[in-house]
Amino acid sequence: MSPSLAVQRRGNRGKRTMPGTRLLLRLALLCGCTQLAAAASSWWSLAMNPIQRPEMYIIGAQPVCSQLPGLSPGQRKLCQLYQEHMVYIGEGAKNAIKECQYQFRQRRWNCSTVDNTSVFGRVMSIGSRETAFTYAISAAGVVNAISRACREGELSTCGCSRTARPKDLPRDWLWGGCGDNVEYGYRFAKEFVDARERERNYAKGSEEQARTLMNLQNNEAGRRAVYKLADVACKCHGVSGSCSLKTCWLQLADFRKVGDLLKEKYDSAAAMRISRKGKLELVNNRFNSPTPEDLVYVDSSPDYCLRNETTGSLGTQGRLCNKTSEGMDGCELMCCGRGYDQFKSVQVERCHCKFHWCCYVKCKKCTEIVDQYVCK
Amino acid sequence: MAGAIIENMSTKKLCIVGGILLAFQVIAFLVGGLIAPSPTSTVSYLANKCVDVRKNPKNKWHLPWGNNPCEKIRNFDEAVSRQIEANDIVFSIHAPHPPNEMSPWFQFMLYILQVDVAFKLDNQIKNNAEITFNVSLGYRDDMVSEWQGMAYAEETRKLKCVFNYPKTKDNEGSYYECDVLPFMEIGTVAHKFYLINIRLPVHEKKGINVGIGDIRDIRLVGIHQNGGFTKVWFAMKTFLTPSIFIIMVWYWRRITMMTRAPVLLEKVIFALGISMTFINIPVEWFSIGFDWTWMLLFGDIRQGIFYAMLLSFWIIFCGEHMMDQNERNHFSSYWKQVGPIVVGSFCLFVFDMCERGVQLKNPFYSIWTTDVGTELAMAFIIVAGICLCLYFLFLCFMVFQVFRNISGKQSSLPAMSKARRLHYEGLIFRFKFLMLITLACAAMTVIFFIISQVTEGHWKWGGYTVELNSAFFTGIYGMWNLYVFALMFLYAPSHKNYGEDQSNGDLGVSSGEELQLTTTITHVDGPTEVYKLARKEAQE
Repeated sequence: MSPSLAVQRRGNRGKRTMPGTRLLLRLALLCGCTQLAAAASSWWSLAMNPIQRPEMYIIGAQPVCSQLPGLSPGQRKLCQLYQEHMVYIGEGAKNAIKECQYQFRQRRWNCSTVDNTSVFGRVMSIGSRETAFTYAISAAGVVNAISRACREGELSTCGCSRTARPKDLPRDWLWGGCGDNVEYGYRFAKEFVDARERERNYAKGSEEQARTLMNLQNNEAGRRAVYKLADVACKCHGVSGSCSLKTCWLQLADFRKVGDLLKEKYDSAAAMRISRKGKLELVNNRFNSPTPEDLVYVDSSPDYCLRNETTGSLGTQGRLCNKTSEGMDGCELMCCGRGYDQFKSVQVERCHCKFHWCCYVKCKKCTEIVDQYVCK
Repeated sequence: MAGAIIENMSTKKLCIVGGILLAFQVIAFLVGGLIAPSPTSTVSYLANKCVDVRKNPKNKWHLPWGNNPCEKIRNFDEAVSRQIEANDIVFSIHAPHPPNEMSPWFQFMLYILQVDVAFKLDNQIKNNAEITFNVSLGYRDDMVSEWQGMAYAEETRKLKCVFNYPKTKDNEGSYYECDVLPFMEIGTVAHKFYLINIRLPVHEKKGINVGIGDIRDIRLVGIHQNGGFTKVWFAMKTFLTPSIFIIMVWYWRRITMMTRAPVLLEKVIFALGISMTFINIPVEWFSIGFDWTWMLLFGDIRQGIFYAMLLSFWIIFCGEHMMDQNERNHFSSYWKQVGPIVVGSFCLFVFDMCERGVQLKNPFYSIWTTDVGTELAMAFIIVAGICLCLYFLFLCFMVFQVFRNISGKQSSLPAMSKARRLHYEGLIFRFKFLMLITLACAAMTVIFFIISQVTEGHWKWGGYTVELNSAFFTGIYGMWNLYVFALMFLYAPSHKNYGEDQSNGDLGVSSGEELQLTTTITHVDGPTEVYKLARKEAQE
């Protein structure tokens, strides 16, 4: 099974299920089931809605921020202050989703997006491992995207702005240069992503508080993953190129590496529960308590095998699987024992290609007949 | 002569002088550590991808943002769908980022380049791939005027990349890890805004830019000196120049006041003073007003001269304290030891001229980019390295000889009269003391160098941030200045007996005793080692 095909299929799935979920939402609203509505909006939706050009924000000023779906009041305020950042937050979320789908391409839960407002659907209202990963990777995506925008010169508040007053900015820049963009990305992402969690207050020891703490921890883990993987590159440039003068800087790793690291953290995520004092504590004391770089979860994962409207699980029916694999992508595990259908499909692939470094590809078309397996 | 100040000075006074110098040394470190920011800053740039709309050939500069920006694309998938060719893509970088502007205080600009190449199973990077860019550099001094061209070049760099994942279909889209490429070096920052336009032209028949993989992004890292550091550095130089100059004049006046001609060691110390002053003179002030691109090269040459002088001084200093019967006192008798220094410095000079000298013409030039150039550069550096090793072998051997002679002398000390013994003990002690100072300075340099290489460059200490790298520069620079200062001061002829050409250093004893001392040396010890020690000292 080729990944590109899988992505496409997943995309189709998403579109296919959308009306269904919408219907469900409407039903939920009719029922007056508020919890469902609350779960159904997130800043992740910036990834889904076409908010492309920064010019739009300059002209639009405030109304744009109030029109953007999914922002909490605190995030809306930040949006008004840093309008030019919103496009890049959207881009970061988009990259995060893409990476999430890559990392979970062989899992029962494959990070599929459901609709444009809640993005991942109801599964995110469960404080599961998967939710933990999603929060972490999207926070990481924002750090990455903001830092990237800084380096492109698209954001004017990067770098020196820690010393706050813009009046001093030219002087700081002249005196000591400006801070690096990774740090800025980290700080901004912290402000923005955590705003939603910080503005709500729940009773100590309540389930909602557990969830808030869990989200905060996972957001931080995601941001730190970017920071941790950013490696220090150095250049010697002293007399005659000797190393008497060495300058180092941070450079961000390929986002794929961030995804890999967070996937590892996902596998070793710690199960937590809320204590009476309002702190998260380990369910099983035998394990080491998690560091700020680790993912935590408070609920066990729902059953992703079957479609379930309450949990938001989409089920694995219709998913492609690998007949020979013994792993999660194998038909046995993927289809949860329900069996699979086999069909032959004709795949047209590009082959014998001639490439330029960009944009130019001249290929022949090769057709291949492959067996594909789809879960029942 | 004898009668150098170091010999005649009481221990108490010596301690006071040492204390004052130490205080200045600490100040030099603190100035760098606490006042100055870190020596250099980096700015990371990600090239914006502009589309060259050929309809308008006059518009040859592509500006990433600001007024009249180019037509941008976010990524190359967009280019594919719009049927834009590789030759129509211009990577555009505006330095610095908004809202800042460059300043002459930055002294130099150094840019390195990195390419992000995504792995594609059927479009991999070939072995020994080379990337060729057409690059143009422009400047302007305000936000509205036209861009002025500054340099154009077609440069080729080797693309050294590795892919750390298995090369499977699954890992398509992950990035290669590529070495950084040297890109550009400019010795002055005379303008406020710079614009770099890079094209990667594809020419299939000539094999240009073929097989370089699927390029996703071009990143640049700009390094420049910090304005704050430049200011502190200039201030330091401006303060040190007159200090060293005055002591130098004072020193030379002392020497010319004597009846005899100056001996070699005195001349060498004077030359050391001159080369120190040469480094100190803050000609860099002119770089604030003038567009002198050769300042970086000039700085290298000045440093080179000083290092060569310092190394020669150590050899001659040891030689002149050898206390054997050879008559040196002549520069030619040190050719064996000074030779490697000359050859080594010459090699480094040629290398520097090949790198920074050519960069005056073409800021994108780097000697390391071609095979021949790399070999040539390596050859120069290796020869220089061998010379340095050779020199240190000579030096260590000479220092060993001196100490052997001194210990030989020490064994005969108890047989001497009290006044004479005190005198020689003092003499040896002070010689060792100076050796110790030299070693301490060298050790400090090495240790601080290692610290600055190993650590992050700054230490957080309570509420303060100590900039280690800056402290290293100001501290070590101050240290060698103080070293030269102390040398000229302590080795200047003492006023207590200048004019007396042939006398032994006195300890303030009466002239009668001194006469007796002289006679005993000449008659009793005769041509023994002690006599030679006295003679050597006298020659200074």
